[in-house]
Amino acid sequence: MLELRKLSKSYASGRPVLAGLSYTFRAGEFVAIMGDSGVGKSTLLNLIAGLDQPDATPDGAPPIVLDGVAMSALDDDAATRLRRAKMGFIFQAFHVLPHLTLEQNVALPLLLNGLPDARAALMLAAVGLDGRGADYPHQLSGGEMQRVAIARALVHRPALVLADEPTGNLDPDTAHSVLSLLRDEIAASGACTIMVTHSLAAAQMADRTLILTKAGLQETTVVKPFAQ
Amino acid sequence: MTARTDAGAAAQRPMPAAPRRSWSATVLVLALIALVTASFASLPLKWAEFFSAAALRSSGEFLAGFAPPELATPFLAKTAWATAETLAMSALGTLLAVAGGMLLALPGAGRFGRTARAAVRIVMNVLRSVPELVWASVLLIAAGLGPFAGTLALAVHTAGVLGRLFADALENTAPLPEQSLRANGAAALPAFLYATLPQALPQMLSYTLYRWENNIRAAAVLGVVGAGGLGQMLKYHLSLFQMPAAATVIIAMLLLVALVDGVSHALRRALTR
Repeated sequence: MLELRKLSKSYASGRPVLAGLSYTFRAGEFVAIMGDSGVGKSTLLNLIAGLDQPDATPDGAPPIVLDGVAMSALDDDAATRLRRAKMGFIFQAFHVLPHLTLEQNVALPLLLNGLPDARAALMLAAVGLDGRGADYPHQLSGGEMQRVAIARALVHRPALVLADEPTGNLDPDTAHSVLSLLRDEIAASGACTIMVTHSLAAAQMADRTLILTKAGLQETTVVKPFAQ
Repeated sequence: MTARTDAGAAAQRPMPAAPRRSWSATVLVLALIALVTASFASLPLKWAEFFSAAALRSSGEFLAGFAPPELATPFLAKTAWATAETLAMSALGTLLAVAGGMLLALPGAGRFGRTARAAVRIVMNVLRSVPELVWASVLLIAAGLGPFAGTLALAVHTAGVLGRLFADALENTAPLPEQSLRANGAAALPAFLYATLPQALPQMLSYTLYRWENNIRAAAVLGVVGAGGLGQMLKYHLSLFQMPAAATVIIAMLLLVALVDGVSHALRRALTR
């Protein structure tokens, strides 16, 4: 579904952030990526989303391939169109637009894709905010706002969901509730989800956990609580 | 006991040295004092003559000439028309300035790169550094006498002011909502319109209304250089020493400014609530 082939990224100063990452993400799986601060986790998500350009590979092969499409070959407009159709992005700080109602926020990806917006209300109901479509973000708690962000990221049925510390601003109970919701929703949609997190509790909710280090991506085993 | 001992030890320790004062601040203050002293010394300020009985008497006679204001119906109708012309000049000038300011603000906020930002900021500095009166004098040559030149003068100067204020407002918005929309597949224009512009819009409306108030006063003055409206009437009647007529024009100016101040205040409250 998503292939990373010798993916590298250096800053303009020449300092390398990512060096030769290779990995294959499969459709329908929920993968957590952990690692120290500054190791390049968010940079990796930005590269996968086409928001930043990777370094060229030594053999000239495309370093990021999504459903057979080489991301680095796309210009800005084409990358935008691909993101719009195939990706959903969830951020730590929610980034729900304050001047739009909840339903308008969730409907944005549908409108951008030229799709009818009826599914927005269904998605709000699916994340436990049924009947709140006319409310504004300032009327919500942090956990509810992240639910809206999840609904917005999934409403257009993306093939790939990228989540950057989605529970970083939430208390443990709310974080667990939001992640359970995210896991259920992506299981229902069949989307591949890559979640960057510092939280072991969040990583326990994923199917697989990878550790990002200077040496690359390495799979690790996270002991899951018995209750799961 | 331990706390008291710690407090005693702390009391005995010398305070850290005060931060060193910057010599440049001292030089600046001394230079300002020198400038103010030199200003008083160089200008022939004749305070004693200004407040003398003769000066006060002649000023009183001059001001008394303004009463009573000219209230003949034809003159009031002429003043009302000039008032409408001044109002129209300020409104149209501000409207054109908003369009020009917005066009300048986008590159001025760095949306088309650093080079464009620097170049446009220089252009905006030039536009707003030249006063409306000078712009009007220049534009009178191209546009001829009348309100058109005045309107253009207001638009050009205010476009520089609003462009700068709009650009700063756009630069000061939180960037993450727009980045979030871009990450979710919105193209640059919709992301700007949905995420960034709504953040800056209340401030931009507030700036626009404030500049409209300023432009009312400026439009009244611009008439002095032949750009139409109340200013032109005022210059005409003052130059012929027709003080009652000039008084009516001045009263019309005061009423217009008060009216626009009130309307602008009400609009700002309604739009930026």
